[in-house]
Amino acid sequence: MLEIKNVTISYQDRPTVKDFSMSLKEKEIASLVGESGSGKTTVIRAVLGLLAGGGRVTEGDILFEGTSLLKNTPDQWRRLRGTDISMIFQDSGAMLNPIRKIGDVFVEYIRTHENMSKGEAWKKGVEMLERMRLPSGDNIMRSYPFQLSGGMRQRVGIAMAMTFQPKLLLADEPTSALDVTTQAQIVRQMMELRDEYGTSIIIVTHNLGVAAYMSDWIIVMKDGRISDSGDRDAILNGNHNDYTRKLLEAVPSLGGERYV
Amino acid sequence: MFDEKDMILEAKHVTRRFPASGGRELTACQDINLKFYRGKTLGLIGESGCGKSTFMRFLVRLDVPTEGEILFKGKDLTKLKGEELRQTRQYIQMVFQDPSGSFNPKMKIRDIICEPLLNFGRIKPSEKDVVARKFLEAVELPGDFADRYPHNMSGGQRQRIAIARAIALEPELIIMDEATCALDVSVQKTIIELVCRLQKEKKIAIGFIAHDLGLIQAFAHQIAVMYLGTIVEILPGEDVDKAQHPYTKALLSAVFDMNMDFTKKIESIDSEIPSPLDVPSGCPFQTRCDHCMERCRQERPALTEIKPGHEVACHIFGREE
Repeated sequence: MLEIKNVTISYQDRPTVKDFSMSLKEKEIASLVGESGSGKTTVIRAVLGLLAGGGRVTEGDILFEGTSLLKNTPDQWRRLRGTDISMIFQDSGAMLNPIRKIGDVFVEYIRTHENMSKGEAWKKGVEMLERMRLPSGDNIMRSYPFQLSGGMRQRVGIAMAMTFQPKLLLADEPTSALDVTTQAQIVRQMMELRDEYGTSIIIVTHNLGVAAYMSDWIIVMKDGRISDSGDRDAILNGNHNDYTRKLLEAVPSLGGERYV
Repeated sequence: MFDEKDMILEAKHVTRRFPASGGRELTACQDINLKFYRGKTLGLIGESGCGKSTFMRFLVRLDVPTEGEILFKGKDLTKLKGEELRQTRQYIQMVFQDPSGSFNPKMKIRDIICEPLLNFGRIKPSEKDVVARKFLEAVELPGDFADRYPHNMSGGQRQRIAIARAIALEPELIIMDEATCALDVSVQKTIIELVCRLQKEKKIAIGFIAHDLGLIQAFAHQIAVMYLGTIVEILPGEDVDKAQHPYTKALLSAVFDMNMDFTKKIESIDSEIPSPLDVPSGCPFQTRCDHCMERCRQERPALTEIKPGHEVACHIFGREE
Protein backbone atom coordinates (compact mmCIF):
# COMPACT_ATOMS: atom_id res chain seq x y z
CA MET A 1 0.00 0.00 0.00
CA LEU A 2 2.76 2.39 0.95
CA GLU A 3 6.18 2.01 -0.49
CA ILE A 4 9.16 4.20 0.27
CA LYS A 5 12.02 3.46 -2.10
CA ASN A 6 15.62 4.47 -1.38
CA VAL A 7 14.60 7.92 -0.27
CA THR A 8 17.13 10.62 0.61
CA ILE A 9 15.77 13.74 2.30
CA SER A 10 17.82 16.89 2.59
CA TYR A 11 17.45 20.17 4.42
CA GLN A 12 19.38 22.90 2.62
CA ASP A 13 21.41 20.36 0.64
CA ARG A 14 22.47 18.54 3.78
CA PRO A 15 21.08 14.99 3.61
CA THR A 16 19.29 14.16 6.88
CA VAL A 17 17.80 10.83 5.92
CA LYS A 18 19.81 8.63 3.60
CA ASP A 19 18.67 5.70 1.48
CA PHE A 20 15.54 4.90 3.45
CA SER A 21 13.23 2.15 2.23
CA MET A 22 10.19 0.51 3.73
CA SER A 23 6.91 -0.91 2.60
CA LEU A 24 3.66 -1.37 4.43
CA LYS A 25 0.61 -3.46 3.62
CA GLU A 26 -2.96 -2.93 4.68
CA LYS A 27 -3.76 -3.48 8.39
CA GLU A 28 -0.09 -3.46 9.30
CA ILE A 29 1.56 -1.38 11.97
CA ALA A 30 5.18 -0.36 11.61
CA SER A 31 7.16 1.61 14.12
CA LEU A 32 10.18 3.81 13.65
CA VAL A 33 12.39 3.89 16.72
CA GLY A 34 15.70 5.53 17.44
CA GLU A 35 17.27 8.34 19.40
CA SER A 36 16.32 11.95 18.90
CA GLY A 37 17.82 13.41 15.77
CA SER A 38 17.90 10.09 13.97
CA GLY A 39 15.43 11.25 11.32
CA LYS A 40 12.30 9.35 12.37
CA THR A 41 9.95 12.32 12.17
CA THR A 42 11.48 13.53 8.90
CA VAL A 43 10.50 10.26 7.25
CA ILE A 44 6.84 10.41 8.14
CA ARG A 45 6.59 14.10 7.41
CA ALA A 46 7.96 13.37 3.94
CA VAL A 47 5.15 10.87 3.37
CA LEU A 48 2.61 13.62 3.96
CA GLY A 49 4.62 16.24 2.07
CA LEU A 50 4.99 18.30 5.21
CA LEU A 51 8.74 18.70 5.48
CA ALA A 52 9.53 21.75 7.53
CA GLY A 53 12.16 24.37 6.77
CA GLY A 54 12.75 23.75 3.08
CA GLY A 55 13.32 20.01 3.34
CA ARG A 56 13.10 18.09 0.05
CA VAL A 57 13.17 14.51 -1.12
CA THR A 58 16.23 14.57 -3.35
CA GLU A 59 16.42 10.91 -4.35
CA GLY A 60 14.08 7.95 -4.45
CA ASP A 61 10.32 7.78 -4.55
CA ILE A 62 7.33 7.45 -2.22
CA LEU A 63 4.43 5.47 -3.63
CA PHE A 64 0.97 5.43 -2.04
CA GLU A 65 -1.32 2.86 -3.61
CA GLY A 66 0.86 2.73 -6.68
CA THR A 67 1.12 6.45 -7.41
CA SER A 68 4.01 8.67 -6.56
CA LEU A 69 3.33 11.28 -3.90
CA LEU A 70 6.28 13.44 -4.82
CA LYS A 71 4.70 14.99 -7.89
CA ASN A 72 1.44 15.90 -6.19
CA THR A 73 0.04 19.35 -6.87
CA PRO A 74 -1.20 21.38 -3.89
CA ASP A 75 -4.72 20.49 -4.91
CA GLN A 76 -3.99 16.78 -4.93
CA TRP A 77 -2.36 17.06 -1.52
CA ARG A 78 -5.43 18.79 -0.16
CA ARG A 79 -7.61 15.92 -1.24
CA LEU A 80 -5.27 13.32 0.23
CA ARG A 81 -4.33 14.86 3.56
CA GLY A 82 -6.83 14.36 6.32
CA THR A 83 -8.84 11.85 4.32
CA ASP A 84 -6.74 9.00 2.94
CA ILE A 85 -3.65 9.78 4.99
CA SER A 86 -3.84 11.58 8.29
CA MET A 87 -1.49 12.36 11.07
CA ILE A 88 -1.45 12.57 14.86
CA PHE A 89 1.11 14.87 16.40
CA GLN A 90 3.03 14.69 19.62
CA ASP A 91 0.90 17.35 21.21
CA SER A 92 -2.50 17.68 19.61
CA GLY A 93 -3.09 20.71 21.79
CA ALA A 94 -0.51 22.64 19.78
CA MET A 95 -2.24 21.70 16.54
CA LEU A 96 -5.56 23.14 17.71
CA ASN A 97 -6.12 26.86 17.49
CA PRO A 98 -6.11 28.06 21.11
CA ILE A 99 -8.68 30.80 20.59
CA ARG A 100 -11.23 28.66 18.80
CA LYS A 101 -13.45 26.02 20.32
CA ILE A 102 -12.87 22.38 19.45
CA GLY A 103 -16.25 22.12 17.74
CA ASP A 104 -15.53 25.14 15.58
CA VAL A 105 -12.30 23.64 14.26
CA PHE A 106 -13.76 20.17 13.92
CA VAL A 107 -16.78 21.36 11.87
CA GLU A 108 -14.57 23.39 9.59
CA TYR A 109 -12.30 20.39 9.04
CA ILE A 110 -15.19 18.07 8.17
CA ARG A 111 -16.79 20.61 5.83
CA THR A 112 -13.50 21.19 4.02
CA HIS A 113 -13.44 17.58 2.95
CA GLU A 114 -17.11 16.73 2.63
CA ASN A 115 -20.20 18.53 1.49
CA MET A 116 -22.19 18.67 4.70
CA SER A 117 -24.32 21.09 6.64
CA LYS A 118 -22.95 22.57 9.84
CA GLY A 119 -25.44 20.60 11.93
CA GLU A 120 -24.54 17.31 10.32
CA ALA A 121 -20.83 18.02 10.68
CA TRP A 122 -21.34 18.81 14.37
CA LYS A 123 -23.15 15.51 14.86
CA LYS A 124 -20.40 13.64 13.10
CA GLY A 125 -17.80 15.34 15.29
CA VAL A 126 -19.63 14.41 18.47
CA GLU A 127 -19.96 10.84 17.25
CA MET A 128 -16.23 10.59 16.56
CA LEU A 129 -15.34 12.02 19.97
CA GLU A 130 -17.59 9.55 21.70
CA ARG A 131 -16.10 6.70 19.75
CA MET A 132 -12.76 7.72 21.23
CA ARG A 133 -14.41 7.22 24.64
CA LEU A 134 -14.45 10.87 25.46
CA PRO A 135 -17.32 11.45 27.85
CA SER A 136 -20.01 13.89 26.67
CA GLY A 137 -18.75 14.78 23.20
CA ASP A 138 -21.13 17.70 23.03
CA ASN A 139 -19.41 19.36 25.98
CA ILE A 140 -15.99 18.85 24.50
CA MET A 141 -17.08 20.41 21.20
CA ARG A 142 -17.97 23.51 23.21
CA SER A 143 -14.62 23.66 25.06
CA TYR A 144 -11.39 25.43 24.28
CA PRO A 145 -8.26 23.28 23.99
CA PHE A 146 -6.81 24.60 27.25
CA GLN A 147 -9.85 23.35 29.16
CA LEU A 148 -8.98 19.73 28.37
CA SER A 149 -6.26 17.54 29.86
CA GLY A 150 -3.34 16.36 27.74
CA GLY A 151 -4.83 12.90 27.33
CA MET A 152 -8.20 14.31 26.28
CA ARG A 153 -6.60 16.65 23.74
CA GLN A 154 -4.67 13.75 22.29
CA ARG A 155 -7.91 11.82 21.91
CA VAL A 156 -9.49 14.82 20.19
CA GLY A 157 -6.53 14.73 17.78
CA ILE A 158 -7.05 11.04 17.12
CA ALA A 159 -10.81 11.52 16.69
CA MET A 160 -10.14 14.18 14.05
CA ALA A 161 -7.53 12.07 12.30
CA MET A 162 -9.92 9.12 12.13
CA THR A 163 -13.00 11.02 10.91
CA PHE A 164 -12.61 9.99 7.29
CA GLN A 165 -11.32 6.52 8.09
CA PRO A 166 -7.90 7.04 6.55
CA LYS A 167 -6.11 4.17 4.92
CA LEU A 168 -2.88 5.27 6.49
CA LEU A 169 -2.37 6.90 9.86
CA LEU A 170 0.93 8.55 10.71
CA ALA A 171 1.56 9.04 14.40
CA ASP A 172 4.45 11.18 15.59
CA GLU A 173 5.24 10.35 19.21
CA PRO A 174 1.52 10.24 20.06
CA THR A 175 2.02 9.17 23.67
CA SER A 176 5.33 10.58 24.78
CA ALA A 177 3.82 13.63 26.50
CA LEU A 178 1.33 11.52 28.44
CA ASP A 179 1.19 9.62 31.72
CA VAL A 180 1.57 5.87 31.61
CA THR A 181 -2.11 5.25 32.30
CA THR A 182 -3.20 7.62 29.53
CA GLN A 183 -0.54 6.19 27.25
CA ALA A 184 -2.03 2.73 27.72
CA GLN A 185 -5.49 4.06 26.81
CA ILE A 186 -4.23 5.76 23.63
CA VAL A 187 -2.24 2.71 22.55
CA ARG A 188 -5.29 0.53 23.03
CA GLN A 189 -7.42 2.90 20.98
CA MET A 190 -4.93 2.97 18.14
CA MET A 191 -4.89 -0.83 18.06
CA GLU A 192 -8.69 -0.83 17.90
CA LEU A 193 -8.57 1.50 14.89
CA ARG A 194 -6.56 -1.05 13.01
CA ASP A 195 -9.00 -3.83 13.93
CA GLU A 196 -12.15 -1.84 13.21
CA TYR A 197 -11.24 0.16 10.13
CA GLY A 198 -8.30 -1.75 8.74
CA THR A 199 -6.09 1.32 9.02
CA SER A 200 -2.36 0.89 8.49
CA ILE A 201 -0.28 2.80 10.99
CA ILE A 202 3.26 4.12 11.07
CA ILE A 203 4.18 5.18 14.57
CA VAL A 204 7.26 7.14 15.49
CA THR A 205 8.24 6.58 19.09
CA HIS A 206 11.20 6.39 21.38
CA ASN A 207 9.34 4.12 23.75
CA LEU A 208 10.52 0.68 22.69
CA GLY A 209 7.93 -1.00 24.90
CA VAL A 210 5.09 0.69 23.03
CA ALA A 211 6.73 -0.08 19.69
CA ALA A 212 7.12 -3.72 20.62
CA TYR A 213 3.54 -4.04 21.79
CA MET A 214 1.93 -2.40 18.78
CA SER A 215 3.95 -3.20 15.72
CA ASP A 216 4.26 -5.92 13.16
CA TRP A 217 7.43 -4.32 11.86
CA ILE A 218 10.08 -2.37 13.69
CA ILE A 219 12.60 -0.14 11.96
CA VAL A 220 15.54 1.08 14.03
CA MET A 221 17.10 4.30 12.79
CA LYS A 222 20.45 5.81 13.57
CA ASP A 223 21.95 8.98 12.11
CA GLY A 224 19.44 9.11 9.26
CA ARG A 225 19.91 5.54 8.14
CA ILE A 226 18.10 2.31 8.83
CA SER A 227 20.36 0.50 11.21
CA ASP A 228 18.13 -2.54 11.66
CA SER A 229 14.69 -3.64 10.57
CA GLY A 230 12.53 -6.69 10.68
CA ASP A 231 9.43 -8.14 12.26
CA ARG A 232 8.97 -7.72 15.97
CA ASP A 233 10.38 -11.04 17.08
CA ALA A 234 13.46 -10.69 14.90
CA ILE A 235 14.24 -7.30 16.42
CA LEU A 236 13.54 -8.25 20.01
CA ASN A 237 15.22 -11.64 20.00
CA GLY A 238 17.81 -11.35 17.28
CA ASN A 239 21.26 -10.52 18.44
CA HIS A 240 22.63 -9.53 15.09
CA ASN A 241 22.82 -5.75 15.53
CA ASP A 242 24.88 -4.09 18.24
CA TYR A 243 23.00 -0.82 18.20
CA THR A 244 19.59 -2.50 18.52
CA ARG A 245 20.85 -4.56 21.41
CA LYS A 246 22.24 -1.49 23.12
CA LEU A 247 18.92 0.32 22.76
CA LEU A 248 16.97 -2.65 24.07
CA GLU A 249 19.24 -3.04 27.06
CA ALA A 250 18.79 0.61 27.96
CA VAL A 251 15.04 0.27 28.42
CA PRO A 252 14.27 0.03 32.11
CA SER A 253 12.11 -2.99 32.55
CA LEU A 254 10.00 -4.26 35.40
CA GLY A 255 11.82 -6.96 37.26
CA GLY A 256 14.85 -6.14 35.14
CA GLU A 257 18.32 -5.04 36.07
CA ARG A 258 18.76 -3.08 39.27
CA TYR A 259 21.65 -0.76 39.88
CA VAL A 260 21.54 -0.77 43.67
CA MET B 1 13.80 -1.41 57.27
CA PHE B 2 16.50 1.27 57.21
CA ASP B 3 18.67 2.29 60.12
CA GLU B 4 16.92 5.16 61.92
CA LYS B 5 20.34 6.64 62.69
CA ASP B 6 20.78 7.25 58.97
CA MET B 7 17.62 9.28 58.65
CA ILE B 8 18.51 12.78 57.54
CA LEU B 9 15.19 14.32 56.69
CA GLU B 10 11.68 13.65 57.84
CA ALA B 11 8.48 15.18 56.52
CA LYS B 12 5.67 15.11 59.05
CA HIS B 13 2.00 15.65 58.21
CA VAL B 14 2.83 17.95 55.34
CA THR B 15 -0.22 19.55 53.75
CA ARG B 16 -0.35 22.25 51.12
CA ARG B 17 -3.47 24.06 50.00
CA PHE B 18 -3.62 26.61 47.23
CA PRO B 19 -6.42 29.13 47.02
CA ALA B 20 -8.53 28.64 43.90
CA SER B 21 -11.15 30.74 42.22
CA GLY B 22 -14.61 30.98 43.76
CA GLY B 23 -13.30 30.72 47.32
CA ARG B 24 -12.42 27.07 46.81
CA GLU B 25 -9.22 25.38 47.88
CA LEU B 26 -6.97 23.05 45.97
CA THR B 27 -5.25 20.51 48.17
CA ALA B 28 -2.03 19.58 46.39
CA CYS B 29 -0.53 17.57 49.24
CA GLN B 30 -2.51 15.97 52.02
CA ASP B 31 -0.86 14.76 55.22
CA ILE B 32 2.36 13.41 53.75
CA ASN B 33 4.85 11.58 55.93
CA LEU B 34 8.09 10.48 54.35
CA LYS B 35 11.63 9.80 55.53
CA PHE B 36 14.89 10.16 53.63
CA TYR B 37 17.93 8.08 54.58
CA ARG B 38 21.62 8.63 53.96
CA GLY B 39 22.80 6.88 50.80
CA LYS B 40 19.30 5.72 49.86
CA THR B 41 16.98 6.73 47.06
CA LEU B 42 13.32 7.47 47.58
CA GLY B 43 11.35 7.28 44.35
CA LEU B 44 8.15 9.29 44.25
CA ILE B 45 5.81 8.25 41.50
CA GLY B 46 2.39 9.31 40.29
CA GLU B 47 0.46 10.83 37.41
CA SER B 48 0.91 14.44 36.43
CA GLY B 49 -0.87 16.80 38.78
CA CYS B 50 -0.76 14.45 41.77
CA GLY B 51 1.42 16.82 43.81
CA LYS B 52 4.76 15.05 43.65
CA SER B 53 6.71 18.08 42.48
CA THR B 54 4.88 20.33 44.93
CA PHE B 55 6.06 18.13 47.76
CA MET B 56 9.68 17.94 46.63
CA ARG B 57 9.80 21.72 46.28
CA PHE B 58 9.24 22.03 50.04
CA LEU B 59 12.45 20.12 50.68
CA VAL B 60 14.54 22.68 48.80
CA ARG B 61 12.43 25.47 50.29
CA LEU B 62 11.14 26.75 47.00
CA ASP B 63 7.75 26.71 48.68
CA VAL B 64 6.43 26.22 52.21
CA PRO B 65 3.66 23.84 53.25
CA THR B 66 0.44 25.14 54.79
CA GLU B 67 0.71 22.69 57.64
CA GLY B 68 3.21 20.19 58.93
CA GLU B 69 6.93 20.26 59.47
CA ILE B 70 10.01 19.11 57.62
CA LEU B 71 12.83 18.17 59.94
CA PHE B 72 16.37 18.29 58.58
CA LYS B 73 19.00 17.51 61.22
CA GLY B 74 16.52 18.43 63.90
CA LYS B 75 15.73 21.83 62.39
CA ASP B 76 12.34 22.60 60.89
CA LEU B 77 13.02 23.72 57.33
CA THR B 78 9.68 25.45 57.06
CA LYS B 79 10.55 27.93 59.82
CA LEU B 80 14.10 28.82 58.82
CA LYS B 81 14.83 32.39 57.79
CA GLY B 82 17.62 34.60 56.55
CA GLU B 83 21.22 33.51 56.92
CA GLU B 84 20.35 30.23 58.64
CA LEU B 85 18.15 29.25 55.68
CA ARG B 86 20.87 30.25 53.23
CA GLN B 87 23.42 28.13 55.06
CA THR B 88 21.05 25.15 55.09
CA ARG B 89 20.54 25.32 51.34
CA GLN B 90 24.01 23.98 50.70
CA TYR B 91 23.01 20.61 52.14
CA ILE B 92 20.01 20.11 49.87
CA GLN B 93 20.38 20.57 46.12
CA MET B 94 18.13 20.02 43.16
CA VAL B 95 18.34 18.79 39.57
CA PHE B 96 15.50 19.95 37.36
CA GLN B 97 13.59 18.24 34.60
CA ASP B 98 14.59 20.47 31.73
CA PRO B 99 18.37 20.77 31.56
CA SER B 100 18.22 23.62 29.05
CA GLY B 101 15.96 25.76 31.19
CA SER B 102 17.94 25.44 34.39
CA PHE B 103 21.08 27.31 33.34
CA ASN B 104 21.81 30.90 32.57
CA PRO B 105 22.53 30.73 28.85
CA LYS B 106 25.14 33.48 29.11
CA MET B 107 27.26 31.70 31.68
CA LYS B 108 30.09 29.35 30.81
CA ILE B 109 30.03 25.84 32.24
CA ARG B 110 32.95 26.74 34.50
CA ASP B 111 30.99 29.55 36.11
CA ILE B 112 27.85 27.44 36.36
CA ILE B 113 29.61 24.69 38.29
CA CYS B 114 31.60 27.03 40.50
CA GLU B 115 28.87 29.52 41.34
CA PRO B 116 27.50 27.64 44.38
CA LEU B 117 31.03 27.08 45.67
CA LEU B 118 31.87 30.78 45.39
CA ASN B 119 28.57 31.71 47.03
CA PHE B 120 29.49 29.78 50.13
CA GLY B 121 33.13 30.84 50.05
CA ARG B 122 34.39 27.30 49.61
CA ILE B 123 36.86 28.18 46.85
CA LYS B 124 38.73 31.25 45.65
CA PRO B 125 37.99 32.61 42.15
CA SER B 126 41.52 31.67 41.10
CA GLU B 127 40.75 27.99 41.77
CA LYS B 128 37.82 27.91 39.38
CA ASP B 129 39.63 26.18 36.53
CA VAL B 130 40.88 23.29 38.59
CA VAL B 131 37.60 22.79 40.43
CA ALA B 132 35.42 22.90 37.31
CA ARG B 133 37.66 20.33 35.67
CA LYS B 134 37.45 18.07 38.70
CA PHE B 135 33.66 18.07 38.74
CA LEU B 136 33.37 17.66 34.98
CA GLU B 137 35.50 14.57 35.27
CA ALA B 138 33.38 13.33 38.17
CA VAL B 139 30.36 13.32 35.84
CA GLU B 140 32.37 11.70 33.06
CA LEU B 141 32.69 14.73 30.79
CA PRO B 142 35.95 16.05 29.29
CA GLY B 143 37.48 18.85 31.34
CA ASP B 144 37.63 21.11 28.28
CA PHE B 145 33.88 21.54 28.47
CA ALA B 146 34.49 24.23 31.10
CA ASP B 147 34.82 26.80 28.32
CA ARG B 148 31.55 25.91 26.63
CA TYR B 149 28.13 27.43 26.96
CA PRO B 150 25.05 25.32 27.75
CA HIS B 151 23.74 25.58 24.20
CA ASN B 152 26.86 23.89 22.84
CA MET B 153 25.92 20.66 24.52
CA SER B 154 23.42 17.86 24.04
CA GLY B 155 20.59 17.24 26.50
CA GLY B 156 22.38 14.37 28.20
CA GLN B 157 25.56 16.40 28.62
CA ARG B 158 23.61 19.31 30.05
CA GLN B 159 21.93 17.03 32.55
CA ARG B 160 25.40 15.88 33.62
CA ILE B 161 26.36 19.52 34.16
CA ALA B 162 23.25 19.96 36.31
CA ILE B 163 24.34 16.97 38.36
CA ALA B 164 27.88 18.35 38.63
CA ARG B 165 26.49 21.63 39.95
CA ALA B 166 24.29 19.77 42.43
CA ILE B 167 27.13 17.64 43.85
CA ALA B 168 29.62 20.52 43.94
CA LEU B 169 28.60 21.53 47.47
CA GLU B 170 28.67 17.92 48.64
CA PRO B 171 25.04 18.00 49.71
CA GLU B 172 23.43 15.35 51.84
CA LEU B 173 20.23 15.26 49.83
CA ILE B 174 19.66 15.77 46.10
CA ILE B 175 16.16 16.17 44.70
CA MET B 176 15.76 15.09 41.08
CA ASP B 177 12.54 16.17 39.45
CA GLU B 178 12.02 13.88 36.43
CA ALA B 179 15.70 14.40 35.71
CA THR B 180 15.83 11.91 32.87
CA CYS B 181 12.46 12.10 31.19
CA ALA B 182 13.58 14.54 28.49
CA LEU B 183 16.37 12.20 27.45
CA ASP B 184 16.66 9.20 25.15
CA VAL B 185 16.60 5.79 26.79
CA SER B 186 20.24 5.08 26.03
CA VAL B 187 21.28 8.42 27.57
CA GLN B 188 18.90 7.89 30.47
CA LYS B 189 20.65 4.65 31.30
CA THR B 190 24.08 6.28 31.49
CA ILE B 191 22.73 9.11 33.67
CA ILE B 192 21.14 6.63 36.09
CA GLU B 193 24.39 4.67 36.29
CA LEU B 194 26.26 7.90 37.02
CA VAL B 195 23.82 8.91 39.75
CA CYS B 196 24.06 5.49 41.38
CA ARG B 197 27.85 5.61 41.33
CA LEU B 198 27.96 9.10 42.87
CA GLN B 199 25.44 8.05 45.48
CA LYS B 200 27.57 5.10 46.54
CA GLU B 201 30.75 7.19 46.66
CA LYS B 202 29.34 10.11 48.57
CA LYS B 203 26.49 8.52 50.51
CA ILE B 204 23.99 11.05 49.20
CA ALA B 205 20.28 10.64 49.82
CA ILE B 206 18.23 11.11 46.66
CA GLY B 207 14.61 12.01 46.18
CA PHE B 208 13.69 11.06 42.64
CA ILE B 209 10.43 12.04 40.98
CA ALA B 210 9.34 9.94 38.03
CA HIS B 211 6.32 8.62 36.29
CA ASP B 212 7.98 5.52 34.88
CA LEU B 213 7.73 2.60 37.28
CA GLY B 214 10.19 0.57 35.22
CA LEU B 215 12.81 3.26 35.64
CA ILE B 216 12.24 3.91 39.31
CA GLN B 217 12.38 0.27 40.35
CA ALA B 218 15.78 -0.01 38.69
CA PHE B 219 17.46 2.11 41.31
CA ALA B 220 15.18 3.24 44.15
CA HIS B 221 15.50 1.69 47.59
CA GLN B 222 12.07 2.86 48.57
CA ILE B 223 9.12 3.79 46.36
CA ALA B 224 6.23 6.02 47.38
CA VAL B 225 3.18 6.06 45.13
CA MET B 226 1.20 9.26 45.16
CA TYR B 227 -2.35 9.82 43.98
CA LEU B 228 -4.24 13.11 44.15
CA GLY B 229 -2.07 14.54 46.88
CA THR B 230 -1.92 11.51 49.15
CA ILE B 231 0.60 8.72 49.48
CA VAL B 232 -1.29 5.52 48.76
CA GLU B 233 1.54 3.02 49.02
CA ILE B 234 5.14 2.87 50.23
CA LEU B 235 7.10 -0.20 49.29
CA PRO B 236 10.69 -1.39 49.02
CA GLY B 237 12.25 -0.85 45.59
CA GLU B 238 12.88 -4.51 44.94
CA ASP B 239 9.27 -5.47 45.64
CA VAL B 240 7.44 -3.55 42.94
CA ASP B 241 5.85 -6.74 41.70
CA LYS B 242 4.38 -7.29 45.18
CA ALA B 243 2.46 -4.01 45.08
CA GLN B 244 -0.94 -4.28 46.70
CA HIS B 245 -2.78 -1.01 46.21
CA PRO B 246 -5.22 -1.11 43.26
CA TYR B 247 -3.73 2.13 41.91
CA THR B 248 -0.15 0.84 41.95
CA LYS B 249 -1.37 -2.31 40.22
CA ALA B 250 -3.06 -0.19 37.57
CA LEU B 251 0.17 1.74 37.03
CA LEU B 252 2.05 -1.54 36.70
CA SER B 253 -0.36 -2.92 34.14
CA ALA B 254 0.00 0.25 32.06
CA VAL B 255 3.75 -0.20 31.63
CA PHE B 256 4.85 -1.44 28.22
CA ASP B 257 7.69 -3.78 28.66
CA MET B 258 10.00 -5.58 26.29
CA ASN B 259 9.41 -8.87 28.08
CA MET B 260 5.66 -8.63 28.28
CA ASP B 261 3.20 -10.92 26.55
CA PHE B 262 2.25 -8.98 23.42
CA THR B 263 -1.04 -10.78 22.97
CA LYS B 264 -2.18 -9.55 26.37
CA LYS B 265 -5.05 -7.09 26.31
CA ILE B 266 -4.13 -3.72 27.77
CA GLU B 267 -5.96 -3.32 31.03
CA SER B 268 -5.88 0.27 32.00
CA ILE B 269 -8.10 2.43 34.05
CA ASP B 270 -10.30 4.15 31.56
CA SER B 271 -11.40 7.27 33.32
CA GLU B 272 -9.54 10.51 33.84
CA ILE B 273 -7.98 11.52 37.12
CA PRO B 274 -10.52 13.67 39.02
CA SER B 275 -9.76 17.34 39.42
CA PRO B 276 -7.80 18.05 42.59
CA LEU B 277 -10.35 20.77 43.26
CA ASP B 278 -13.00 18.24 44.12
CA VAL B 279 -11.25 15.25 45.53
CA PRO B 280 -13.94 12.77 46.55
CA SER B 281 -14.42 12.42 50.29
CA GLY B 282 -13.28 9.06 51.53
CA CYS B 283 -10.70 7.22 49.47
CA PRO B 284 -9.32 9.48 46.69
CA PHE B 285 -9.10 6.53 44.30
CA GLN B 286 -12.72 5.39 44.72
CA THR B 287 -13.95 6.76 41.38
CA ARG B 288 -11.53 4.62 39.38
CA CYS B 289 -11.22 1.56 41.62
CA ASP B 290 -12.68 -1.85 40.79
CA HIS B 291 -12.84 -2.86 44.44
CA CYS B 292 -14.71 0.18 45.69
CA MET B 293 -16.83 -0.63 48.77
CA GLU B 294 -19.30 1.38 50.79
CA ARG B 295 -16.61 2.12 53.36
CA CYS B 296 -14.33 3.65 50.73
CA ARG B 297 -16.89 6.35 50.02
CA GLN B 298 -17.10 7.50 53.60
CA GLU B 299 -13.75 7.04 55.22
CA ARG B 300 -10.29 7.94 54.00
CA PRO B 301 -7.98 4.94 54.43
CA ALA B 302 -4.77 5.48 56.38
CA LEU B 303 -1.39 3.98 55.56
CA THR B 304 -1.19 0.61 57.30
CA GLU B 305 1.91 -1.50 57.48
CA ILE B 306 1.31 -4.92 55.95
CA LYS B 307 4.94 -6.01 55.98
CA PRO B 308 8.10 -4.32 57.28
CA GLY B 309 8.77 -1.40 54.93
CA HIS B 310 5.56 -1.90 52.99
CA GLU B 311 2.59 0.35 53.78
CA VAL B 312 -0.71 0.53 51.94
CA ALA B 313 -3.59 2.98 52.29
CA CYS B 314 -6.54 0.87 51.24
CA HIS B 315 -9.54 -0.47 53.13
CA ILE B 316 -9.00 -3.92 51.66
CA PHE B 317 -5.99 -4.21 53.93
CA GLY B 318 -7.24 -2.08 56.79
CA ARG B 319 -8.19 -3.83 59.97
CA GLU B 320 -11.93 -3.98 60.63
CA GLU B 321 -12.81 -2.16 63.80
